[in-house]
Amino acid sequence: MSKLVRIFIGGCLLLGLVISPISAAAQYDYLSPEKINAKIKDISGKNKDISKLHTLAVTPGGRDVILLELGQKKGNNRAILVVANMEADYPISSEAALKLADNLTTEWKDNLDNYTWYIVACANPDGYANYFSTPLYTNFGNAKKVNNDNDDAVDEDGPDDLNKDGFVTMMRYKHPEGLWITVEDNPFLMKLADSEKGETGLYRMKQEGLDNDGDGEINEDGFGGVNPGLNFPHRFKHYTGTNGLWAASEEESRGLLTFAFDHPEIAMVVVLGRNNTLAEVPPSNNKSKATKDKYKLPGWMARNLGIDPKQEFPISELVEMGREFTGNPNLDEDTILRFLNVGAAVNPNKRDLIYWEKITEEYNEFMEEASLDGKRLSSPEFSPGSVAEWAYYQYGVPTFCMDFWTLPEPEKKEEEKDSLALTPEKIENMTTEEFLALGEEKIDEFLKSSGAPSQYSAKMIMSALEGGMMTTKRMAKMMKKMKKEDDSGGVDETDETLFAMRPEAFLEWKEYQHPTLGTVEIGGMVPYSTVTPPADKVDELIDKQIPFLIKLTEKLPAITISNVEVEKKASGVYKIDAWVTNSGLMPYPTYQGKRCQGPTPMIVTISGKSLKFLEGKERIVIPILGGSGGVKKLSWLINGKDGGKVELKISGPSIGSHTQSVTLKGGAK
Amino acid sequence: MRRLKLTISVLLFSIICLLSINLQAGNLSYSFDHLYDNEAAVELLHKLHKTYPNLTELRSLGESEEDRDIWLLTINNKKTGKDTDKPGIYVDGTIHGNEVQATEVCLYLAYYLLDNYGEIESITKLVDSRAFYIIPIVNVDSRSRFFTDPGGYDIGRTARVPYDDDRDGVADEDGYDDLDGDGEILEMRIKDPYGNYKTSPDDPRAMVRVKPGEKGEWRRLGEEGIDNDGDGRINEDTPGYLDMNRNYGFMWQPRYVQSGAGDFPMSSMPTKAVSEFIITKMNICFNFAFHNAGRLWVRGPGSKLAGMYAPSDVKVYDYLGEEGEKICPEYRYIIGGQDMYTTYGDFDEFMYSNLGIFGFVGELYSSRKESFKAHDAPDDQDSKVSYWGGTKTEERLKFNDRLSQGQMFREWKKFNHPQFGEIEIGGWRTFTSRIPQDFMLHEMVHRNASMVIFTASQTPEVKLSLIGVTDLGNGLKQIRVRAENANALPSLSTKIMKSGIVRKDMFKIEGNGLEVVSGGTITDILYDRVAYVEYRPWLVFTNVPSFGKREIQWIVKGTGTVTITYDAVKAANQTLKVKL
Repeated sequence: MSKLVRIFIGGCLLLGLVISPISAAAQYDYLSPEKINAKIKDISGKNKDISKLHTLAVTPGGRDVILLELGQKKGNNRAILVVANMEADYPISSEAALKLADNLTTEWKDNLDNYTWYIVACANPDGYANYFSTPLYTNFGNAKKVNNDNDDAVDEDGPDDLNKDGFVTMMRYKHPEGLWITVEDNPFLMKLADSEKGETGLYRMKQEGLDNDGDGEINEDGFGGVNPGLNFPHRFKHYTGTNGLWAASEEESRGLLTFAFDHPEIAMVVVLGRNNTLAEVPPSNNKSKATKDKYKLPGWMARNLGIDPKQEFPISELVEMGREFTGNPNLDEDTILRFLNVGAAVNPNKRDLIYWEKITEEYNEFMEEASLDGKRLSSPEFSPGSVAEWAYYQYGVPTFCMDFWTLPEPEKKEEEKDSLALTPEKIENMTTEEFLALGEEKIDEFLKSSGAPSQYSAKMIMSALEGGMMTTKRMAKMMKKMKKEDDSGGVDETDETLFAMRPEAFLEWKEYQHPTLGTVEIGGMVPYSTVTPPADKVDELIDKQIPFLIKLTEKLPAITISNVEVEKKASGVYKIDAWVTNSGLMPYPTYQGKRCQGPTPMIVTISGKSLKFLEGKERIVIPILGGSGGVKKLSWLINGKDGGKVELKISGPSIGSHTQSVTLKGGAK
Repeated sequence: MRRLKLTISVLLFSIICLLSINLQAGNLSYSFDHLYDNEAAVELLHKLHKTYPNLTELRSLGESEEDRDIWLLTINNKKTGKDTDKPGIYVDGTIHGNEVQATEVCLYLAYYLLDNYGEIESITKLVDSRAFYIIPIVNVDSRSRFFTDPGGYDIGRTARVPYDDDRDGVADEDGYDDLDGDGEILEMRIKDPYGNYKTSPDDPRAMVRVKPGEKGEWRRLGEEGIDNDGDGRINEDTPGYLDMNRNYGFMWQPRYVQSGAGDFPMSSMPTKAVSEFIITKMNICFNFAFHNAGRLWVRGPGSKLAGMYAPSDVKVYDYLGEEGEKICPEYRYIIGGQDMYTTYGDFDEFMYSNLGIFGFVGELYSSRKESFKAHDAPDDQDSKVSYWGGTKTEERLKFNDRLSQGQMFREWKKFNHPQFGEIEIGGWRTFTSRIPQDFMLHEMVHRNASMVIFTASQTPEVKLSLIGVTDLGNGLKQIRVRAENANALPSLSTKIMKSGIVRKDMFKIEGNGLEVVSGGTITDILYDRVAYVEYRPWLVFTNVPSFGKREIQWIVKGTGTVTITYDAVKAANQTLKVKL
């Protein structure tokens, strides 16, 4: 069997498995959606002066999606939107959101002087309610009825807890077309047979259940629904059955989108869930044409201009061309990209990543200080249609994802190799310059030894590093992944890791007489096991990590009119120069935010009694200001009364406002 | 006494009049020689519904941003069955508020179907066997304003959702201004020896571009307006802009990729209302969305993201499109994304790619029709260049003079502009250019409604018949049936079969004590090839193709009479009793 098919089948099965919790061991007392909402109402009730409740949506299951607003000025400050458990697959995230709300009303109350917090602790309550139902099985959809198999009945063939142990786990049974085999020295785990190693499949694996409707398929049309966490309009995926018919089709996602667009004061989005964009900068998930720097002109235009339609031009040249063509000197790259029909951005803007790297550095230091920097498995890549990607790519604000926990990385079993040879671990700690200094030959050797596909040449990697498209950290991560595939002996890394940490998360395979399949064995991983940290660690994980969210607010753009100079040009004629400075780490808006036209731009106004503007406008839009000291000079030539006062103001809903006053006086500079 | 006689005769006369009206019920007389504004259109819908209560249903799907109702007229003969048990045709108009005459096609279609019910046999049959869903005005807000507010033929495409077009922190603050107070937004021009235009030698009202070396005379300043927000630009942030025909959900792309997209799919109230309605009527087989202008039947794909259309579906489109080019002889049948421009989030793509429903955008009218030349004059229009324009301004002005008595063009008039000083205002008036003159309306609405009627007649009609029963011995019998579709539209598009949004057609065999041994679709009856179903052999899920057949075979054990049913979402169900 081809590797692709195996990966595909493995993937299909893992979907049912990976995100699978609860072991027989002591469980953390996670709050159900109903209890979360009660707790939110309780927090709000105890803090009436600083809180407000918004119902974003009523789910198909009749549950309220509640947003808790906390702020001294309720919505008049810039705001942080916190969305937890949007994909309903991560219990700890809802608990963390509640803890954050608690802290903001107590020990962190000072933060509310400057910020409003919009906290959605349980963004997908229908989906999350499944975690509290018996039998337990992985299902993150809301209660919308979906005819997954397009037959004559809806939700007629869901999973069944055949052995009545309270969990829907897996069934394995011998079958001539079986792809799975048992794992040597571990009777609990299963792996896909690797024909290249001479292994032959023996078992078929299916989720525990019956063919309730007699169509030959097991559990092909279960209860629920659409996962609103996969229903956001960036990289939305059609034709899945679980993601919705179109983006924003669900009440939960639509409610959140509507709230966000109604609240331009939102300056940052924090997503609490399975993803983590703090330990590493957000991944580039596509190598599409949208990331390249050279473009062709549309055929008709090239022909009109007498240019070869096949020729590609750097974007900077196209901007120049466009400016000349339209006579508009302000035409920018974003407009040209739209005109060229380049499509949506799929990778974080390189100019934004500079700031992200800095935050990543601080986060990793913070985690080290909190003694939470132990090696652990990477968080998964974004699902299509995620709220986090939407918030950055379409809403255009800085967006950070925090995951609190993943399974710890197992101890390395492999024997010590040549200690001089390069390893991903070594590369991880190198700077780009150090790595490049190794030279082409050494890098090539390293690539070969770590099993990189042949199309990855040293040259290519080096130019990617030089161009900032790749970092040593990201490369190390890629290499580790490649290595693992080789070393694991075919056992899923997550299975192995979970088993090492918590063997009780796997149930023994026990025989069962299945009505249509005959003798099967039921067992395997207890659902949700990989996403629930050990019960005694949950509070600590939350308490130690949420302070970083307060730290993040300190990274937001801080925009002021830092300096104003007045120069008298003639009687009653003054030149005013003003400098607008961003002393915060992050730019305003993000570069992607500028491109997607999300955040409201900054406006500088100048006002005073009977002023006449000889040069410059009363109201000036600043489309973008870089982070960490980004500065922009503005100038006016005005006619006003000597000794008159002039007020300059910069403002925007998500940056606040700042004013400076000057008097029209004095001589030349 | 005399007075009494008079009173009696007046009374009698009134009664006779009333009676005659009653007698006339079912023969409402409406003219389609003028445009109906929203109020008149809604009034007509209510009258149609009142006159034909058994054939129609009228309801509001919801309200728009400015609280106007979005009306849906359903034409369905309840006596012949529920609407959802019949193949459905969906027709809407004026999703772009300035494309007003699209509404007239919808109104005329409804009127024509109802008025001729019981009069013309084919119409009666069609109304009895199909369901028509007609939304004459999708963009109720902008269409309403098109008739009441100062505007122009290109103004009012948007939904009334404010947007900060010039990204200056304020939305909709610099719109058009009717400077001369004539109720229309026309063009401004200023005398300028460095301008790019000069007066046409053939008509003093027309301007032509200057050639290199020639002296200019005019600079064109765009639509009437002033710099309302003092940013040095004019009309750069007009009311709106959300283009509902970029706000639908299939492969929706955000504003920075598709202008007018809105904040997220179905974010406008009409698109939300319409899409929520449509998914409750999956019996819809075909949709028409009427727009102006270009004289086109447009199908998708609108962009590369939509991927390739299934070849078998393209055949259906081609058949209907080519027929449409003849029903409306000046029309061209084109592919939007290839022959026109790329679009994301348009209604047509949503219907086909998201829901598997075929459809055309009907682009009504073109100012090319405003030609003025003798039958033997050479055609100087380059038909390949543009769907929209074509007729030279000077020639259109002659059309204006001779056929509309000068009502289409406003002569240039001097005006003192607050910023530019002396300018001139004039040009093509609001109800021109994209909109035909009243006298041209009737043929337009009739031809386009005829295309809808023809297409409705091509929705699937499946006839189920017995091919035969063969005794295989040992008590086994082979039963073969055939479902034939004489029409162009398949019972389900190939797209929908793959995307799996609708239940497939079911062929089912049932009978007392019947044991079904095997079942499947016959792929080639001559060679005895059958694609068997592995489970539940009494039930076969499939579709019936365009102008084609589907043959099903079962092998059963049993005696007596069996019932074979064909149960479809988009075609009328069929039942067959077969004696074994």
